[in-house]
Amino acid sequence: MVEITDVVCSLCGCVCDDIVVEVEDNNVTKVKKGACSVGKSKLMGHGRIESPAIRENGSLKDCSYDDAIKKAAEILAAARRPLLYGWSSTVCEADKVGVELAEEIGAVIDNTASVCHGPSVLAIQDVGLPSCTLGEVKNRADLVIYWGANPAAAHANHMKRYSYISKGYWTAEGKKNKKLIVVDVRRTATAKMADVFLQIEQGKDYLVFSALRAMLYGYEDVVPEVVGGVSKKDLLETVRMMKEAKFGIIFFGMGVTHTGARHNNIVNAIQTTRAAHTHTKFNIMPMRGHYNVAGINQVCTWETGYPFAVDLSRGYAWYNPGEHSATDLLIRRECDVALFIASDPGAHFPGESIRHLAKIPVIQIDPFPNPTTEFADVVIPAAISGIEAEGNVYRMDNIPIRLRKLVDTEYMADEEILERILGEVRAIKEKEGE
Amino acid sequence: MQTIRLKLKEEITSGIAKIPVEVDSLTPDKLFGKNEAEIKAVKVWWGNKEENTGDLFDVSVEGEAASADEVKIVMEGDLSRVKHIGDGMKAGEIEALGDVDMHCGAMMQGGRVTVKGNADCWAGREMRGGELIIEGDAGDNLCAMYRGEMTGMTGGKVTVGGDAGECVGQYMAGGEILIKGNAGILTGLNMKGGKITIEGDAIMPGADMTGGEITVKGKVRDMMPSFKFVETATIEGEEYKKYLGDLAMMEKRAKGVLYVK
Repeated sequence: MVEITDVVCSLCGCVCDDIVVEVEDNNVTKVKKGACSVGKSKLMGHGRIESPAIRENGSLKDCSYDDAIKKAAEILAAARRPLLYGWSSTVCEADKVGVELAEEIGAVIDNTASVCHGPSVLAIQDVGLPSCTLGEVKNRADLVIYWGANPAAAHANHMKRYSYISKGYWTAEGKKNKKLIVVDVRRTATAKMADVFLQIEQGKDYLVFSALRAMLYGYEDVVPEVVGGVSKKDLLETVRMMKEAKFGIIFFGMGVTHTGARHNNIVNAIQTTRAAHTHTKFNIMPMRGHYNVAGINQVCTWETGYPFAVDLSRGYAWYNPGEHSATDLLIRRECDVALFIASDPGAHFPGESIRHLAKIPVIQIDPFPNPTTEFADVVIPAAISGIEAEGNVYRMDNIPIRLRKLVDTEYMADEEILERILGEVRAIKEKEGE
Repeated sequence: MQTIRLKLKEEITSGIAKIPVEVDSLTPDKLFGKNEAEIKAVKVWWGNKEENTGDLFDVSVEGEAASADEVKIVMEGDLSRVKHIGDGMKAGEIEALGDVDMHCGAMMQGGRVTVKGNADCWAGREMRGGELIIEGDAGDNLCAMYRGEMTGMTGGKVTVGGDAGECVGQYMAGGEILIKGNAGILTGLNMKGGKITIEGDAIMPGADMTGGEITVKGKVRDMMPSFKFVETATIEGEEYKKYLGDLAMMEKRAKGVLYVK
């Protein structure tokens, strides 16, 4: 038995890096410390895609890595409008090859931000992001606001490691000297811990942000008595707490990115942070979901200039979420081929997109079987990043952290699979060129 | 006067995948002076490959034109997967007989585009001049901007016979938009100049506006809480409340005018 310390969790955007595990006979046998229950479950392992496979007459037939990779390359090289999607539950090194593949075949490359914090990314482009690291939040924040986010359920270590409950250099007494505001449409587990809970009407976040901004700038006289289901009294109290804070932070989640004004809610949230700057230090940060969704946004941006939904079909990058985002492309039946890596559109995309996926060739690269496997035509199993393969990922505050390899594996890493597909595609194109 | 008829071949959109054709190379000013054979050889994008116009469209040319102003393009067939119709056009006329895909009339500088049906999102995006008439409904981001741009429409005139989607005229700085039906959420978002008239209803109009004028003749749902009532005004014999905003942009920048009933 070997004890491994400082293990990095490859589950959510918290990317906890102080986990201790025990490894015996090339298996993780115990998670001793640091991980939340979901992270622990991933580290301990579960069902895998056991072999590469190609669908024949409706059912998947096991084959070699070579055959599956060759078949995938043939499908991709012949495509007129291929979509390459996923990328957020693997490492940046694999993502980089993915962008290269997209460029080679004139594909649309999109990642899970598209159905997650894509609206936040759009908003950041419009008005910037006054943000900080989670370390700064831990050591300095005395006012924490969760808006449309429920970390008690979704990012179980977030409050303990980084925000409301954590103890830092200037926050040695933990939550005793901090305030917590929660804004949500229902009283969540996080809301029950809050000093102030603003229960807003579904879809009215935009109005509440605008009211807060007007108040922070001193125009409370124009604000009506009730805005989006919240009383003016509660809004004024929130503004007072914001003004009096030494270091405030707004963490926001899907509850505000996908409702009412969607990405414009986030523009308004960022503008609210900016309005708070006329009084004190304030910050804002999206509660990123998958452990490396921030990383694929980084990689895609440094390779193409844009973070997600990038169309490379004309040989240059054209970026337009709503037009080149995966669900939109699929609902409009635009794609003729799709490759999914480290994601599960079968479980997460709207029914209409899935109906189209059932009709076109689909390639899946993933360690785990999931609903996408059910309609995939080529299935390529991969090593689990952070357990069987190493590489760099970006935490939700865009801090790069290196995932560690804990055990050996026979499975190929995502990066190698993609490099081999790219090599095969280039060989096909060279042959066609001749 | 010259009429160029472009009819999209049926097989282009009859497959399992409906891959859009992008026709920003087929504007009156770009086709002016070309004969039928030359037009058939103009390249258009279909997915990740460039094709000859003649391979995707049935092409016919009638009459002569002395300038691009005298060129009229009539587009026929299933245009619901034809993007960028009239994108960047400077002169002449395009008539699209049916529903059209995204970016119709985007970056337009002159001439006229008439859509005899609905137009998908980003019609009239960053339009600078000319006229765009959509007889049916318009999708989202009508006359708005490319992602990340800080200026939308700056000139020209747009009329929508039916409804329009969200963010009509976002970052608009000039020109005129008339929506005869209803408009979706956040009409005139970040508007800096120009004029929008909505004959039907609107949701949260005028957010973050710093200039320009929006008139909503129907009902407003979810009026912004950061606008200042100024006075009652009469427009075309009807009484409106005049507001200035958006105070969420700070008072010195809140020069947008919003008329609601």
